[in-house]
Amino acid sequence: MAVLARPGRIRPSRIVLHAFLLSMVAVWIFPLFWAVYNSLRPVSDTIQNGYLSWPTGGLSLINYQTVWTQAELPYYYLNTLVIAVPAVTLTLLLASLVAFACTQFSWRFNLTTLMIFTAGNLLPPQVIIVPLYRIYLSTPLPMLGELDVGKFGFPFFTDNTLLYDQYIGIMLIHIVFQTGFATFVLSNYMKTISKEITESAIVDGAHVLRIWWRIVLPLCRPALAAMATLLFTFIYNDFFWALLLMKTGDKRPITSALNNLQGEFFVNNNLIAAGAMLVAIPPILVYIFLQKQFIAGLTLGSSKG
Amino acid sequence: MTRSRDPRGEKIVLPGTTIELPLDLDLTRRDVLKIAGYGSLAAFLAACGGGTATTTTSVTAKGGSMSLGSYLSDAVPKKGLQDVVDAFTKANGGTKVKVNTVDHGTYQNQINSYLQGTPEDVFTWFSGHRMRFFADKGLAAPIDDVWNEVKGNFTEGFANSVKGNDGHVYAIPTSYYPWAIFYRKDVFQQHSYNIPTNWDDFKKLAEQMKKDGLTPIAFADKDGWPAMGTFDILNLRMNGYDFHTELCVGKQKWTDSRVANVFKKWSEITPYYSPAFAGLTWQEAAKQLLQKKAGMYLLGLFVSEQFVASGNPDDLAQLDFFPFPDLGTNYDSEKALDAPIDVFMMAKKSPTLSADSGQAKAFLEFMSKGSTQITFWKASPGAIPTAKDADQSQYPALTKKAAQIVSGAKRITQFFDRDSRPDFSGPNSMQGFLLSYLANPKQDTSSLQGKMQSFWDSLPPE
Repeated sequence: MAVLARPGRIRPSRIVLHAFLLSMVAVWIFPLFWAVYNSLRPVSDTIQNGYLSWPTGGLSLINYQTVWTQAELPYYYLNTLVIAVPAVTLTLLLASLVAFACTQFSWRFNLTTLMIFTAGNLLPPQVIIVPLYRIYLSTPLPMLGELDVGKFGFPFFTDNTLLYDQYIGIMLIHIVFQTGFATFVLSNYMKTISKEITESAIVDGAHVLRIWWRIVLPLCRPALAAMATLLFTFIYNDFFWALLLMKTGDKRPITSALNNLQGEFFVNNNLIAAGAMLVAIPPILVYIFLQKQFIAGLTLGSSKG
Repeated sequence: MTRSRDPRGEKIVLPGTTIELPLDLDLTRRDVLKIAGYGSLAAFLAACGGGTATTTTSVTAKGGSMSLGSYLSDAVPKKGLQDVVDAFTKANGGTKVKVNTVDHGTYQNQINSYLQGTPEDVFTWFSGHRMRFFADKGLAAPIDDVWNEVKGNFTEGFANSVKGNDGHVYAIPTSYYPWAIFYRKDVFQQHSYNIPTNWDDFKKLAEQMKKDGLTPIAFADKDGWPAMGTFDILNLRMNGYDFHTELCVGKQKWTDSRVANVFKKWSEITPYYSPAFAGLTWQEAAKQLLQKKAGMYLLGLFVSEQFVASGNPDDLAQLDFFPFPDLGTNYDSEKALDAPIDVFMMAKKSPTLSADSGQAKAFLEFMSKGSTQITFWKASPGAIPTAKDADQSQYPALTKKAAQIVSGAKRITQFFDRDSRPDFSGPNSMQGFLLSYLANPKQDTSSLQGKMQSFWDSLPPE
């Protein structure tokens, strides 16, 4: 029988390969496992016995509970969501418009435009922090009330008549800096869409915007999903812009909530490990939800005749 | 010794004593490059910073509202501040206080842009060079009028610690903590060790601890700053307060043979340090002390936080400290030590300050009361109240002793990174130099000292 014959067919190279793979998995999983393990132990346990020890007081979820309430994680999740969701959506809309115009139509400066957007992607954001800070401090915005969620308020536009220290300010700067990269990726993808499709749409009497919305965008779904995952991760991880352009602790994104768990001198690493675990969940969720599209995006077009 | 400028002769008189201690530094500083592009605006603001109008009516106001920017982000001090704010609201006719808490690290990184943007009316900060810097830049508002009403509650030394270079008062000191050598009473009892009072006894004790299988001196310098504490105390005790403070501000040379002597002296105790200390954080070194693996540890009073977190009240009860041993120099009698002071200040650029100034000043006045500081201290006992009328009877033994050791000191410094300019105390400068010294303490330090001096010389004028 084939099943019985199989063990005999295992070659040494295969054993080596699996040993290698298993050890790589261990190397990758170990830090994560260690963080999870210690996040389940109270800090007094690790101070008394060290991090490389069996738990004496048992494992508990007390650190997670403390993080959830002490660092007010739900609010900070909301802060990030309020910035990330509109920023990702708007970036993709704007970038797809540029990419659409530059790839589906022949006009004099279409390549130049594309190059400018790509070049903008190469500009290090740090270069413009000082002028940007000044601009934000002197840009007036209307105050249009706010939406109160618990002790946090989410103002429409602004709550201090300025762009500085506002969700919308952080959102805008993310859109500005991510559009270049998104345009670059989306235009490369759109180049693979055959011209015949858009041409026949024109023949059928479709308006330019209708072609973009009804034909090109649906075809780009895998690329859009992949970009959305990436952009969400970028924006979710951002610490820099909020550090510079926001002063209110309660408005800052989830990444800063972790810092709230540190004292001036004393750091409860077990608590921070628990916080890091919780903070890592949303990007993983986004990836899982968009995974199907993401993989399709990687392989789509590879098997076209 | 050549001096381009005389020290201001700032003095501290400690609560319950008549001892006057000169405090802190004479600083004229322009940290232009530190804030790069903001420099011109800061200079403009500084030019606009006028004197304070003294009014005959009360400077404070009741009711209304004010805002407060706080770096007290850790759960314990955060609660302490909330308790204080609640008490203030109650005592001041229902003044609404909007607190903006930003985590400690971010707050410090952000302070430059924060104070130039739309800061809160009142903000938490540190005394020393760090306070004077923002006063010089015109980003802090002078509070002489508040100070005149509360100064009776502070010793002269605290008074000097909150004075800017222009002679105006810019802050209310609210708490401080000393650096000393910590040990476990039970470990000393078990081996019948005696508290060393001079350098030789200290070294002998270290030698004995080594024989007894202990790490004699816990030490950790992964974060760079802890080593500065040892440099401070050795330099203070060997070369005196004046030399140390002048060295911090560049009025003495790092190539001085007196600095070489400090490194030489230091190398006598480095063999007793924790192994692999360059990779340890202070918490890990404190753990060695807690677990009775190490005998002594030179650190700030905050070392007790690790003992509190261990969850075993007996650990905390065993924690004690003694002052740094005498080195047999003329400066032993100064009993100088690091005791950083935390303060509350008023932000000049706060958009609401013109409306809330009365409430903000009322808050600062409230913060200077002993009863307020005790309220904060009860929730967050890591540092000691500064007010004369703070009720010391409630202090536990460790805090009492800490207050005592500071009042026994005739000279007090703020810690290297608060006394010197920030670009000289960072990882690329002093912290890095000390780490490279500690990598090989027996080295001839002349080339290292040369590097330190040329780094100082390369810094832009402040």
